[in-house]
Amino acid sequence: MTRKQRRLVLIGVSLSVLGVAVALVLSALRDSIVFFNSPTDIVEKHVAPGTRIRLGGLVEDGSVRRGDNLRVSFKVTDGKTDIPVIYQGIVPDLFREGQGVVAEGIVEPGGTIKADTVLAKHDERYMPKEVVEALKKSGRWKEGNQDFAGDKK
Amino acid sequence: MIPELGHYALVLALGLALIQSVAPVVGARRNDATLMQLANSTAVVQFIFVAISFAALTACYVRSDFSVATVYENSHSMMPLIYKFTSVWGNHEGSMLLWVLILAVFGAAVAAFGVNLPATLKALVLAVQSWIASAFYLFILFTSNPFLRLANPPFEGRDLNPILQDPGLAIHPPLLYLGYVGFSIAFSFAIAALIEGRIDAAWARWVRPWTLAAWMFLTAGIAMGSYWAYYTLGWGGFWFWDPVENASLMPWLAGTALLHSAVVMEKRNALKIWTILLAILAFSLSLIGTFLVRSGVLTSVHAFATDPTRGVFILAILLLFIGGGLTLFAWRAPMLKQGGLFAPISREGALVLNNLFLTTACATVFVGTLYPLALEALTGAKISVGGPFFNLTFVPLFVPLMFAMPFGPLLAWKRGDILGVAQRLTLAFAAAVVAICVTFAAMGVKSALAPLGVGLAFFVMAGAVVDICERSGLFRVPFKAALRRGFGLPRSAFGTATAHFGLGVTLLGIVFATTWGSERIVSLKPAQTVSISGYDLTFDGLVPRDGPNFRELAAKFTVREGGVPIGIMQPSKRSFPTRSMTTTEAALMTRGPSQLYLSLGDAEGDGSIAIRLYYKPLVMLTWLGAVIMALGGALSLSDRRLRVGAPKPAAKPAMQPAE
Amino acid sequence: MTLWFVFALMTAAAIFAVLWPLGRPAAARTGSDLAVYRDQLDEIARDRSAGLIGDAEAEAARVEVSRRLIAAADAAQAAEPAPQSSPLWRRRLTAVVGLVLLPVGATAIYMLLGSPQLPGAPLAPRLKEAAHGNESITSLVSQVEARLERNPQDGRGWEVLAPVYMRLGRFDDAVKAWRKVIALSGETAVRQADLGEALVGANNGIVTADAKSAFERALKLDPQQVKSRFFVGVAAQQDGKREQAAEIWRGMLKDAPTGAPWVATVRHALASLDEPATAPSAEAASDNAAAPGPSAQDIAAAGRMTPEERGKMIRGMVARLADKLKQDGSDVDGWLRLVRAYMVLGERDKANAAAADARRALAGDADKVRRIDELAKGLGLAG
Repeated sequence: MTRKQRRLVLIGVSLSVLGVAVALVLSALRDSIVFFNSPTDIVEKHVAPGTRIRLGGLVEDGSVRRGDNLRVSFKVTDGKTDIPVIYQGIVPDLFREGQGVVAEGIVEPGGTIKADTVLAKHDERYMPKEVVEALKKSGRWKEGNQDFAGDKK
Repeated sequence: MIPELGHYALVLALGLALIQSVAPVVGARRNDATLMQLANSTAVVQFIFVAISFAALTACYVRSDFSVATVYENSHSMMPLIYKFTSVWGNHEGSMLLWVLILAVFGAAVAAFGVNLPATLKALVLAVQSWIASAFYLFILFTSNPFLRLANPPFEGRDLNPILQDPGLAIHPPLLYLGYVGFSIAFSFAIAALIEGRIDAAWARWVRPWTLAAWMFLTAGIAMGSYWAYYTLGWGGFWFWDPVENASLMPWLAGTALLHSAVVMEKRNALKIWTILLAILAFSLSLIGTFLVRSGVLTSVHAFATDPTRGVFILAILLLFIGGGLTLFAWRAPMLKQGGLFAPISREGALVLNNLFLTTACATVFVGTLYPLALEALTGAKISVGGPFFNLTFVPLFVPLMFAMPFGPLLAWKRGDILGVAQRLTLAFAAAVVAICVTFAAMGVKSALAPLGVGLAFFVMAGAVVDICERSGLFRVPFKAALRRGFGLPRSAFGTATAHFGLGVTLLGIVFATTWGSERIVSLKPAQTVSISGYDLTFDGLVPRDGPNFRELAAKFTVREGGVPIGIMQPSKRSFPTRSMTTTEAALMTRGPSQLYLSLGDAEGDGSIAIRLYYKPLVMLTWLGAVIMALGGALSLSDRRLRVGAPKPAAKPAMQPAE
Repeated sequence: MTLWFVFALMTAAAIFAVLWPLGRPAAARTGSDLAVYRDQLDEIARDRSAGLIGDAEAEAARVEVSRRLIAAADAAQAAEPAPQSSPLWRRRLTAVVGLVLLPVGATAIYMLLGSPQLPGAPLAPRLKEAAHGNESITSLVSQVEARLERNPQDGRGWEVLAPVYMRLGRFDDAVKAWRKVIALSGETAVRQADLGEALVGANNGIVTADAKSAFERALKLDPQQVKSRFFVGVAAQQDGKREQAAEIWRGMLKDAPTGAPWVATVRHALASLDEPATAPSAEAASDNAAAPGPSAQDIAAAGRMTPEERGKMIRGMVARLADKLKQDGSDVDGWLRLVRAYMVLGERDKANAAAADARRALAGDADKVRRIDELAKGLGLAG
């Protein structure tokens, strides 16, 4: 093989691997990504039943109901709108009324979300970014009071 | 006094780093030996000052000095001693100090052990190393200073985030940082070579030990992180394709590619430009990894520090080093001479293929990790890219790579004989086929792909064994001769085979645990029993306990196998009053390489408790494989040849002071 | 002063790191790529003799590496001469940077960021210092404790120890001590009242059922016992029975001998009752609780706590109680205590929620639910 042919082989193989990779990425991006929505988004955008979404907001006070077989239902609110969620399984440690939550699942025909994943990430230092933004938008977010003004030199 | 000493030591380290950033460069340009060797002493003393600084901060944590703001915010006087140590880096400020400490360790190591390097190269490497160090010292001092004080120290701290109160924190971040920061040496070598405009096969050999060391630590660090996430997050998964995990996987992929392309460069003087690029990329991805975690730009389970204002500073650092590095590369790389030729089917060809797949896989991870960010910035839409995406992109790229892996080491340099190699791999093929058949027979056809995965794993493992057999001539020459030849093999050959074998072991663990694991989520009353994969677990009751800084409600389960009690599992829920947080502590029972995994949900009013129970067959192999890989790296690192050029002590008993 | 001395030493070390290499001759020998290629040649020879590679392969590799070796040797010769030592002016310039810029710059940055005036404050010596005032007491206590361990039937010993425990804020120990005293030396109104006070202290100013019964026993023995009367009033107030509390306290004022030291405290407590509907703050509650009699400061002196710290501690304990009740909701007294505690802390919403939780948890037991309802009504909570 001449030098030129070798180079062609190399370029050919590289391009085909890259091509396959690009095709994989594009098809995966079409099928396996999930959009994040706040409760208000879901109502305003009329998300079609059967769509897979991530819903973020606060667990509405007094909305958590526990049923048999580890069934849990609750409402996720952003202060303006609330969306009912049902879930079967163990909710995370930090899942509490009034705290931030992200539920991922399918939109049911009645507008309920049937979640297969519930993430609650409340720690005074950490909240899902999406939740913070959704709450900021609806005016329910207050910046944390983490500074200890005057004390800090 | 101690916190202020640490603070001042850090300032002095910055001062020395600034001098070290300039003087050796001038020295190298002007061929001035004095200025060049200045870098040796400043690098070592810089390390001493950072070490003092780190020790001072550690002392503050251990002695609960709440006059230091970060200690107050991240520690508690009642914490067990080990967590007082680990909380030093369980927060943003301290972890950055650990980062620069490791950077300084590597800098000092180059100064002390790089005796075999040409003076100008060494001076430039140390200077570039100091540019990075200066940027990070400034970052720490002005935006993330761990030594800020409180005039009226409180009597109790706010405790370390309970999720981080785990032995995992003692091991995972230091290992990971040793890996990340280790790639800074490869980066500095690359930049130094570009500045010098000269690069050759010797360069690759000089960089190799540093890259190997970094790769080894990163491999172990990632495995440790994965195991930590596995037992601490309470739902039995060991890899979540979480942005922070991806952040550590990307430099690993680039670093693995670098490791392999440097071999080609060293042996054949080829792939030089590509190797330089990989060295820049590996460290760039490490920086991005730091950035992803530190700035909290991505939603992630990990994020133990979230502060966008610091992000701007880190962004500047990223732009400076990645942008600067790539610009320098674009400008200088075309001036480098190309090296040796090789046929597509050859050891070089196989290594090119390896690089191609590794970098492409790395690129898909990069896209999957950063696409949501880009999309949000451009359109405002928020999406999450999770496991399914990576399973569809990363896995198909990794499978051919692993299939090709046993072929590489058996191919000859320059021009190889693929059929001959395939022939020599007959044994490995046979092992794979047997494994596939056995798996099908034993496990049924629940999943068609999984037995193939098992076959691939066995192919890779057997391939590594065949490699060593072939090299030693086992089964071809008399046994004794083969043994002698086996001992004569360079350690790096054993290192390669060991690391490849380890990857096969990991694959085996992943395939088994994900395909044939079982899971049960049930609610149990005391004295009730739940069964999984031949084990029966009886819920004996709840036991409240008091820990040093938490209270705990443990559930006691007796585990029986075929009616015979084999042990007790006690998963628990811990509540930490200081942060009013609860954590779930899963209980693990290791049975050979398999594990039973039990974690608690909520206790209900009627005395029953929800549990999650998993049986994870062969799951330990996932991490064991990574440990084997790291061991392979260590074996290679111990190869005498990597120290070549170092003055042999016997040859010249020079009074070379260890600078 | 020590600090600046150590700073000076460290600065000197840093300067030394810069100056030392300037004074040394340039290292004669450095590494070069020639060594690497020579080693590669050796390696090929080794591999060949071990039979790891074929003759032709070895020869080709040898030629290639030799070519590299020659090229490198040529380059080394063609390149600049071996590195020289610095010219004097450059060394002087560097020395100035090290001697002047380094210390001045470091000091400037440090003065900008550091707090040299603040001493280190490790916790252990601070706690010791904080306890210093009590040091003699502490050692005394341990002596008495040691003696009582040998002779636990010594009622007088316990009677000496109990008030000291109160002073030190060790309320749980005080409760145990008073119980011993009562068991060993007999019951008196004062002893019962002191036991009740210790119980109140142990519960952060909340008059529990235990404490109340202690005060009631004391009043049975001596209906005029001041401390017990006051605390029974506090109990009524915490139960939401404001009229009853007011009545008790007014009675005390009426009976008060002239110049009694506790009159002001009772007046204060009475005044706090008039604040409509809002529950007294935690601080006020514990001040009130602590006010009567000579032991007035004792409870307030719980350790050396600032009001915020005390509030925080109380909150912590309340949170623990709430946790416990979440695990096991059958403890009606616990629920009553929790609802009251929230009212004392001024957290009306939480009190409401706790009452609701309690009703849910005790749903099976009408009698217990009634007690919750009564309390809620008394505290003016939504029923």
